[in-house]
Amino acid sequence: MAGGLFTFRGKSTAQAEITISVIAAAAVVLGWEAVAQAGLIQPQFLPAPSRVVSALWGMITGQSLLWHAGISTMRVWSAFLLAAVMAIPIGILMSSYRIIGAALEPIIDFIRYLPVPALVPLSIIWFGVGEETKIFLLWLGTFFQLVLLVADDMRRVPHEYVEIAFTLGAKPRQVLTDVALRAMGPTLVDNLRITLGWCWTYLVIAEIVAADSGLGFVIWSARRYVKTPEVMAGVVVIGLIGLVTDQLLRVLHRRMFKYV
Amino acid sequence: MASSYLSFEQVTKTFGTVSVVSESSLSIERNSLVVFLGPSGCGKTTLMRMAGGLDTPTTGTIRLEGVAVTKPDRRRGMVFQSYSSFPWLTVEGNIAFGMRYRHDLTAAEGAERVRHYLRLIGLEDFAKSYPNRISGGMRQRVAIARSLAAGSDVLLMDEPFGALDALTRERLQVELRQIQAEEAKTIIFVTHDVEEAVFLADRIILFSARPARILRDIDVAAALGPVRNLDIRESEDFFKLRNEVLHLIRNESTNEH
Repeated sequence: MAGGLFTFRGKSTAQAEITISVIAAAAVVLGWEAVAQAGLIQPQFLPAPSRVVSALWGMITGQSLLWHAGISTMRVWSAFLLAAVMAIPIGILMSSYRIIGAALEPIIDFIRYLPVPALVPLSIIWFGVGEETKIFLLWLGTFFQLVLLVADDMRRVPHEYVEIAFTLGAKPRQVLTDVALRAMGPTLVDNLRITLGWCWTYLVIAEIVAADSGLGFVIWSARRYVKTPEVMAGVVVIGLIGLVTDQLLRVLHRRMFKYV
Repeated sequence: MASSYLSFEQVTKTFGTVSVVSESSLSIERNSLVVFLGPSGCGKTTLMRMAGGLDTPTTGTIRLEGVAVTKPDRRRGMVFQSYSSFPWLTVEGNIAFGMRYRHDLTAAEGAERVRHYLRLIGLEDFAKSYPNRISGGMRQRVAIARSLAAGSDVLLMDEPFGALDALTRERLQVELRQIQAEEAKTIIFVTHDVEEAVFLADRIILFSARPARILRDIDVAAALGPVRNLDIRESEDFFKLRNEVLHLIRNESTNEH
């Protein structure tokens, strides 16, 4: 296999990297299993991976874990799409028109620094404990971050592209759609992928405080009875969903932006 | 003055309190290649950008065929040193870019124009390549072709060959002269490279350090003729003129400091 793996800034092949990723992940799991089997740590704190897997299976068959996972995924995606649909145009306008940027930047910057958990009580007062509260909390955690990232992506579109487009006969609106949006595409999709990950962080917070469904609820209920394997199984499911989504979006990114 | 093609009439430019271009008047003939030569950061680029409508003169007017330039349009195209071609479009897509705003052309006419300019720059084989797969010299050719295809009469070129290696640069200089002659276009070419200026220009406008002021108007066409090939580079006349220009620049900088 590639000797470049051991060289500073060396090169490697995709195959070699996948092999190493799998070996490293397997090593972590095996090490964990060995420590747990040896009884070095009480199973109540660190159950063996095999116990977590059997808990996972039990939860899928007995506690409709997949349904809970589906609910959580739905919540994440609706809040994320809502945030994206709002943040993309607003972010673009903020960096395209100084009046909008100057008006919104301080407000957004202020809200952006408010920790989402601190707003949970307010959210419950406003929206009760239904779906709205969860969507609102997730949206709150992503929209204000994303809008500034989008504004930044837009600002980084080289001015040359914009000027060239004008001298080729484009109108301002056409410069926006035919040039700026295309030029910012790759970084925009990257930022969306990263923000989607944050959504999952806020999801667990939202589902712990105000839910009777979803993965956060499952994890929190299991904790109440100190069912550590089930707590871990819930966390593992979130990790797996994150991993799969991220990889899918990476593939999409590569396909959409072959020219990069 | 009224009959001149592209004219700068007592143009000045200040950014805030900094004077960048001091009063400059100049008239440029149709189908000529005029080089703006001067030290880096002297304001020659700003003067050219104002001709493109990308900056507005603080005072004075720039006219193309008698009509004041107020904003950019497709009659005056820009070629930059970097970010010159759109990375998300193929070579062909880049050249065709201006067609989407040419409602006066049918699809067939547009396609024919794209083919014509693809041929002109000799990149037919790279039509479907993205800019990251072609050389820097090819990318600059694409930028030129894209402007011409869109319908530019005037090309405004801001040190377009500045990032290229010496050999590619020479080739593109020769090609630019050919393209200009074939397509009958007017070009303003900004550079700080004396050899490049002398080789390319029909006329060199020599600028002072900032704020840019026209120091000399040098008629290169009279000395070197209209046809420029690599032999000219080794001719007596070329060296003489190059040394003359170099001396002018040196004297200028010793006078000022």
